[in-house]
Amino acid sequence: MGKITIAPLTRLEGHGKVTIKLDDSGKPADVKLHITALRGFEQFVIGRPAEEVPRIVPRICGICQTAHHLASVKAVDAAWGAQIPSAAEKQRELMHLGNMIHSHALHFYYLAAPDFVLGPDADPAIRNIVGVIDAAPEVAKKAIAMRRVGQSMVEATGGKPIHPVTGIPGGLSKSMSEEKRDELLAEIDTMIQYGQDGLDLMKSLNEKYLDTINSLGVIDTWYLGLVKDGKHNFYGDTLRFVSPDGSEKMEFKPAEYLDYLGEHVVEHSYVKYPYNKKVGYPEGLYRVGPLAMINVCDSMSTPLAEEARKEFAETFGRPANQSIAYNQARLIELLSACERAKELLEDPEIVSTDVKAEVEPKAGNGVGVVYAPRGTLFHNYETDDNGIVTKANMIVATTHNVPTMEKAIQQAAEVLFKDN
Amino acid sequence: MADKVRLGLIQLCGCSGCHISLLDLHEQLLDVLPNLEIVYAPIIADVKEIPECDVFLIEGGARNEHDEHLIHEIREKSKVVIAWGTCAVYGGIPGLGNLYSAEQLKKTVYGTETTDNVGELPSDEMVPPLTNSVMPVPSIVDVEYVIPGCPPRPEINAGAIVALLEGRDPELPKKIVCDECPRTKENVIPETFKRTFEGTPDPEKCLFEQGYTCVGMGTRAGCGALCPSAGVPCRGCYGKTDEVLDQGSSLANTYAAAGDEALKISDKSALFNRFTLPAALISKKQE
Ligand code: SF4
Ligand code: SF4
Ligand code: SF4
Repeated sequence: MGKITIAPLTRLEGHGKVTIKLDDSGKPADVKLHITALRGFEQFVIGRPAEEVPRIVPRICGICQTAHHLASVKAVDAAWGAQIPSAAEKQRELMHLGNMIHSHALHFYYLAAPDFVLGPDADPAIRNIVGVIDAAPEVAKKAIAMRRVGQSMVEATGGKPIHPVTGIPGGLSKSMSEEKRDELLAEIDTMIQYGQDGLDLMKSLNEKYLDTINSLGVIDTWYLGLVKDGKHNFYGDTLRFVSPDGSEKMEFKPAEYLDYLGEHVVEHSYVKYPYNKKVGYPEGLYRVGPLAMINVCDSMSTPLAEEARKEFAETFGRPANQSIAYNQARLIELLSACERAKELLEDPEIVSTDVKAEVEPKAGNGVGVVYAPRGTLFHNYETDDNGIVTKANMIVATTHNVPTMEKAIQQAAEVLFKDN
Repeated sequence: MADKVRLGLIQLCGCSGCHISLLDLHEQLLDVLPNLEIVYAPIIADVKEIPECDVFLIEGGARNEHDEHLIHEIREKSKVVIAWGTCAVYGGIPGLGNLYSAEQLKKTVYGTETTDNVGELPSDEMVPPLTNSVMPVPSIVDVEYVIPGCPPRPEINAGAIVALLEGRDPELPKKIVCDECPRTKENVIPETFKRTFEGTPDPEKCLFEQGYTCVGMGTRAGCGALCPSAGVPCRGCYGKTDEVLDQGSSLANTYAAAGDEALKISDKSALFNRFTLPAALISKKQE
């Protein structure tokens, strides 16, 4: 029996290896994705004052740090029973959208587009963003501008573009200035336009690669995402599971997550495998991220993105189960994030200085959930009378997707090795 | 270095934020990139083997045996090795793991409330064993330069790259965060200390002097005092200055001036060495 190891797995933030064991006829018999890094955040936030934790956990991921910052501060707010002012909620949401715009632009243009724009068979040495800059400078220019505006949005509201710091229990330590608001407003229509251009580019590529999209990495799983009144929502409210064929739905609030989510320790990876507890392991494995978000919502919350979602459903079905359709789903969200950011920037409360309520530390248990750019994210802390963390649980975005990523690689391997 | 610099980049026990901060040069990337030949960067490109490099930027320290092995391999293959970002230079936030044993870390992570098979641990040969503690890069191999910051600001990254292209040594700020901080100081020692969410700090005055536990006086400048400017105390993410051996001891010295009140601050080891525990004089919990 042969064995193939692919290491390091590239263009995956974090650390991965894939091993493919082949049977005697050279067909893949066993495919494993090994996540090889562990840092232990659940342990080392214990003993820290809870208000410090939103400044520690962003280091889980340098790409979606803002989502960790916000899920974390929401968890502390919930544990201490803090009611935060509506202006603070809006400014936090804008911070979140900025991160979404940066991350989705990064993921599509810097990580996925090189394969599409330059072709999957291009020399690996140029099949990256540098190659895109040479081959399609217009595309690169838009990618850079979207990331810049996204990061500026985070810096304007969060104090730092990477690892923001303003989220404190009770609200924010600082409000956004009018000057920064005006700067962002001046660019937001262009960003919405770029968002639409990105979708057009994706659709033209789809035509070229539709066979690949419909054959590689097509798997049936549950989907988990966030909605508010049934509509797609980046920042919070209600979790929704949808079954592989779309027939079944389950909804729950963040505080009820223990009833719905389980995690299973596996031998071959530092990452645990989360699953829908009502269904069980492994049948209840699920996907999160853009594809899941588009699959679980009834509609998008902004008009242009909703048009795009309808078209997407026509092309890929509902729920769509093609892993490569993630790219188009991501672009729909990128457009929606720009549209929603515009709504917020036009709201006078976005520069209100009423952003902090009084809070008292106390013993409590709180769950904070946001949709991070790669998927729904959970932080849960327990605190003692002084507001010091005594217990923590985190289910982070990429973790949710690891088991199904493995499944998708398995399926892709079967297709790719079929003719050997 | 007249020709293109052959550059390698890797993320080890870090979060990839240092890489992202490099991308945060935004439009300026178009000026910097043509001078570089990126020959290895798992985050953006499909190259599996580590090639010979002129300059290698290592993000993150070592948390497992594989990280350690890669650091040695990179040293052998590179002319210039740079410990890039606070994790690589001092251990960074993952270094807080040094307050616990590796066994304890695993026990907690694989024993959370959502875990259904508590007691089982990853054990496959493909999963590299954890080291006993987080080790910064300079504690494993000699490095030519360090670039601290969590993450280093884009202009610090660009400054270092341009210096190397021009054959100069990259230089780091010598000052402290207080020197860049716009808040006014009256040289008073606070009578009591407050937690970040308590009260509303005066927006013009030094946070430390108002009783907030800012550590800007023991932290290398470079960020432009981002946190105090955003209303929250500095947490020391650029690490120590050149004058002192250990960020934590130097901060403890400053705070000692407040007498007993300073002793009441909770969780001092993770406050004064928030980002630098693995490089501190006492760098891990003694077992
Ligand atoms: S120094 Fe900070 S930004 Fe860089 S890898 Fe470490 S945690 Fe991430
Ligand atoms: S607020 Fe902090 S960084 Fe600013 S002067 Fe005071 S101690 Fe220094
Ligand atoms: S103020 Fe302190 S914690 Fe904040 S970015 Fe600067 S050095 Fe880091």
